[in-house]
Amino acid sequence: MDVLTVKNLTKKFKNFIAVNNISFSLKEGEILGFLGPNGAGKTTTIQMLLGVLTPTAGAIKYFNQDFTKHREEILEQVNFSSTYTKLPWRLTVRENLTFASFLYQINNRRARINKIVKIFKIERLINQAMSELSAGQLTRVNLAKAFINYPKVLLLDEPTASLDPDVADYIRHFLLEERRKFKVSIIITSHNMAEVEEVCDRVIFINDGKIIADDTPDGLAKTIKTSHVELLIKDGLKRTIEFCQNRQMQYVLEGRYIVIDVVEREIPVFLRELMDKGVYYDEISIDKPTLQDYFLQITRKT
Amino acid sequence: MKIHRIYAVVLRFLFLFRRSYDRISDAFYWPTIDLLLWGLTSVYFRSIMPGASRVILVIMSGILLWIIVWRGQYEITVNLLEDLWNENLINMFVSPLRFIEWIIALIVIGIIKAFLSFSFAMFMAYLLYKVKIFFFGYYFIPIILLLIMTGWWVGFFVAGLILRFGTKVQTFAWTMVAVISPFSAIYYPLSILPNWAQIVAKITPTSYVFEGAREIIARGSVSPDKLIISLVLNVVYLFLSLWFLRRSFKKVLEKGLVKVY
Repeated sequence: MDVLTVKNLTKKFKNFIAVNNISFSLKEGEILGFLGPNGAGKTTTIQMLLGVLTPTAGAIKYFNQDFTKHREEILEQVNFSSTYTKLPWRLTVRENLTFASFLYQINNRRARINKIVKIFKIERLINQAMSELSAGQLTRVNLAKAFINYPKVLLLDEPTASLDPDVADYIRHFLLEERRKFKVSIIITSHNMAEVEEVCDRVIFINDGKIIADDTPDGLAKTIKTSHVELLIKDGLKRTIEFCQNRQMQYVLEGRYIVIDVVEREIPVFLRELMDKGVYYDEISIDKPTLQDYFLQITRKT
Repeated sequence: MKIHRIYAVVLRFLFLFRRSYDRISDAFYWPTIDLLLWGLTSVYFRSIMPGASRVILVIMSGILLWIIVWRGQYEITVNLLEDLWNENLINMFVSPLRFIEWIIALIVIGIIKAFLSFSFAMFMAYLLYKVKIFFFGYYFIPIILLLIMTGWWVGFFVAGLILRFGTKVQTFAWTMVAVISPFSAIYYPLSILPNWAQIVAKITPTSYVFEGAREIIARGSVSPDKLIISLVLNVVYLFLSLWFLRRSFKKVLEKGLVKVY
């Protein structure tokens, strides 16, 4: 069942088209990565999905209800967290969460706040003002606010930015658990491609306001044909470089290590040709293409 | 419209008030300074002009009643600014909070703060000069109501300007209400204003209230016409300011709520 349907969504700012006629849907319990280079139209789309930016054209439906007509009922079941939006800095964590709990009319407010601060490991910070918190702590408070109303749909803008790796990992597992237990549907924007590959079922890639790809992270990565072949050259580094230059192959050199982009199915032939040229290597590793490669390919084209 | 959401916004403003020494001092510091300055000035005038016995009463009631207008306007605009400075409008409006609920919360918080400042100033006026404001009797209620309505429409108008043009026009939050003060004839009769200013005063609802207040001090009653004209003007301006604020909010949504800084 689709919990969100977007049809022909467009946003124009004077002569500039920020979002150009995009359509997509989000299924119940699905985690959707919303990716694209800076200025691609991700934030503009998220803002329209949250009702804080009026679309120029198009329709947004949550739970089969028109967003403009049923804004209140819909937003009671939706929430949002962004590393880049702030909560009042003079208020304490508890005051901010209390405000949110009243806004969403949460039953057993105190119990919910106590539970949510435990989940996000911010119990020790509960009586501290927001101005006293570090960037990572602020991100966790923002996430706690986003989960306070048991949302059915969550929009998360860079949810793990500025978090320590262990906390970021904990949050990713928490998101996956929430999806498993409560079928929460989540849209994530992130610049951490490894994170997107780990948690997202599907990825929408947006560029210049248009959707240019909609597939699984694996599916997108597979569209990249080249792998990275890393060699520790024992003998013949100069010959290897010449070989790459003659074939116009991309490579990066670091000491005696060389990383060469090679079309996946041509790797055996490539290695044999290197040996024929008298190149010897001590180590070899082959990295298959990732979502990161897909992202880089798209951004390099633009 | 949901009461719990209005309560949430009011609660948040009260949390902010409790933690903002600048806002606390705003509520009590300026009324005290005004009372001291103007009170002592009028005591001095009374000492050199023994016939002007009502001068303290006129000045004190002017100061006390103007607090209502000032707080009503100030709370609406400064609370909006607080959300802009905190970059927090987006967090509020991604929730089910409706525009009208937010406006009502601003009104409620304005009433609470006006009541706090006014009560404090009343107490100080009694303590320093033995002036009791309750001599207005039943007229006290319509007078307060009309003055706070003025505070609201000025506040909504300024809030609309701030939403539309951002914090670069935030100075209006502190200055706009002062624009109508000379035409409100707070401490002097309308008749001493130049002709052009008297015309402006005729369309300024507070001028009728302060003229009426002085009538009560002089004769113990006020012509109901004055209060009715003030009410009509206030209602018209209130609708216009709300329309302007609503329009500004719609404009903001067209360019994105996060871009209003």
